[in-house]
Amino acid sequence: MDTWQPSARPNAAPSRPKRRSVWRLELRAILYLIPFLVPFAAFYLWPVLNGAWMSLHVWGIQGMEKYVGFANYRKILDNPDFYSYLWHSFYFVLLCTPTVIVLGLVLALIINQNLRFRTFIRSAFFLPYVLSVSVISFIWLHLFDPKNGPVNALLRLFGSSGDINWLTDRHFVWWALTIATDWWTVGFVMVLFLAGLQEIPPDHYEAAKIDGAGAWARFRHITLPGLSRVTKIQIFYQIIASLKLFGQVQIMTGGGPGDTTNTMIRYIYVTGFKKDMFGLASAQSILFCVIMLMIAAIQFKITDRKDG
Amino acid sequence: MRKWAFNAFAVLLALLFIFPLAWMILVSLKPDGTSVYSLADWVRWSDLNTDNYVKVIRDSSILRWTWNSLVIGVLTTVIAIAFSSLAAFAFSKLPFRTRGLFYIVIISGLLIPTEAILIPLYETALHLKLIDNIWAIVLPGLTNPIGVLLLKQFMDGVPRDYIEAAQIDGSRSFGLWWRVCLPLTKSAMVSVGIFYFILSWNNFLWPYLSITSAENMVLSAGLPTFLSNNTMSLNLIMTASAIAAIPTIVVFILLQRHIVQGVSMSGVKG
Repeated sequence: MDTWQPSARPNAAPSRPKRRSVWRLELRAILYLIPFLVPFAAFYLWPVLNGAWMSLHVWGIQGMEKYVGFANYRKILDNPDFYSYLWHSFYFVLLCTPTVIVLGLVLALIINQNLRFRTFIRSAFFLPYVLSVSVISFIWLHLFDPKNGPVNALLRLFGSSGDINWLTDRHFVWWALTIATDWWTVGFVMVLFLAGLQEIPPDHYEAAKIDGAGAWARFRHITLPGLSRVTKIQIFYQIIASLKLFGQVQIMTGGGPGDTTNTMIRYIYVTGFKKDMFGLASAQSILFCVIMLMIAAIQFKITDRKDG
Repeated sequence: MRKWAFNAFAVLLALLFIFPLAWMILVSLKPDGTSVYSLADWVRWSDLNTDNYVKVIRDSSILRWTWNSLVIGVLTTVIAIAFSSLAAFAFSKLPFRTRGLFYIVIISGLLIPTEAILIPLYETALHLKLIDNIWAIVLPGLTNPIGVLLLKQFMDGVPRDYIEAAQIDGSRSFGLWWRVCLPLTKSAMVSVGIFYFILSWNNFLWPYLSITSAENMVLSAGLPTFLSNNTMSLNLIMTASAIAAIPTIVVFILLQRHIVQGVSMSGVKG
């Protein structure tokens, strides 16, 4: 068990007469863990295990009906819907993660300058992040209104002809969701980059300046490498956040137009709570968990290898 | 000159970020049924009034939902921080043998998000008769391991001398936690607490499923019910959003330094 020690190893193994006190320490320590462990076991560990069990059954909101083995999984994997919703979730990752990271980096670099009204500017960029998903979805639902919404009004000002049906046109709906989500969460990305920028020692920049490195060279050779750890953390954080997309879709598009914006989580939600098929929905959840675990494993490998 | 232009650009960008919120508040203050469309609508301030606010507050339970969100947020934050701090203390200061095992079990909670265990979580809440009860939201909010992780890091930084001095003064382990570790990690607890409160306040999916009555509803999950009510005009919907947003905005403006710090700390280390 000693190899599991997360940090500073306790003093060497106790001698025999101390055995009882070792047990006492063990029990006392666990006593401190119990307040956290009880809800953790009931509302995290147990649901994970129970979900695996439920996924092997036909299960309604009334409870278990019958054991079906892996039939639920077969049903999901044979159904093209699953792949299309999975693709939608990853499509959103492809749109949202790069845009929000780049935009967050740009905003952080702006804020990091010596500006007037710096506090106001920083607050403005961060403020949307503290609003709830329902508020931001309501706002953007109406900002994107084709006839009376300010977004189209603004585009018309710049000479665009014809109104864009942002939320009902399959070519634009994902961009609309991405714009709303980027606006909402970019402040978080920015703040983490700001913290990263402050960790880069200023004398590196001084030295580079003396060596005659231009702004772009300083950015490429000092800023970017200095931010690599925080960038990696952020990329994985955003991938997972994007995969969990639900609220914006539920409120702004209802999965539409047609089925275009149905995501994994909404698929689970509809199967479980609208169609009352808990067993099938559990199997979907387990598949989703497996995807999450795979991403975590990749993250672990990447962040571990380079940063030691 | 270039610096001045850059500064102007940054301010303009900031205004663009605020635009959606400004628009929401403007629409909510316009008479019911009118729209904010042209520039003229923006600058005509004579017709602004708070009738919509009176109407929304009178005809819906929105104030009740705000109260519920606040109660749930405070309960979740306070209890989670207390429990996390106790666990962090054990991991950091008590050299028990199974701590590696327990640590891994708890940290595994970072791997799977609530969204992925919705169905069995609902089943658990159903069995414990928690559906439509505010504890259905509070209790799962206590399982976030990030607080344990962060507070442990801070307790690792509590100097050994402090601990030994307290031990010489006769403190047992509980005293070490209460009198030494707790006060010394106060600022970390504030940061983590702010992070937890924001998570709880903005939690949408789980309350949306587990709360069924208007009486126990929370703000984030209750708001979408206005959409299914087709009789509501844009002005009233924006008023409801503004009522939900304004407390958050005010608190943010008052506490922004702590909030930004709390979020960046929890984000970087988590």
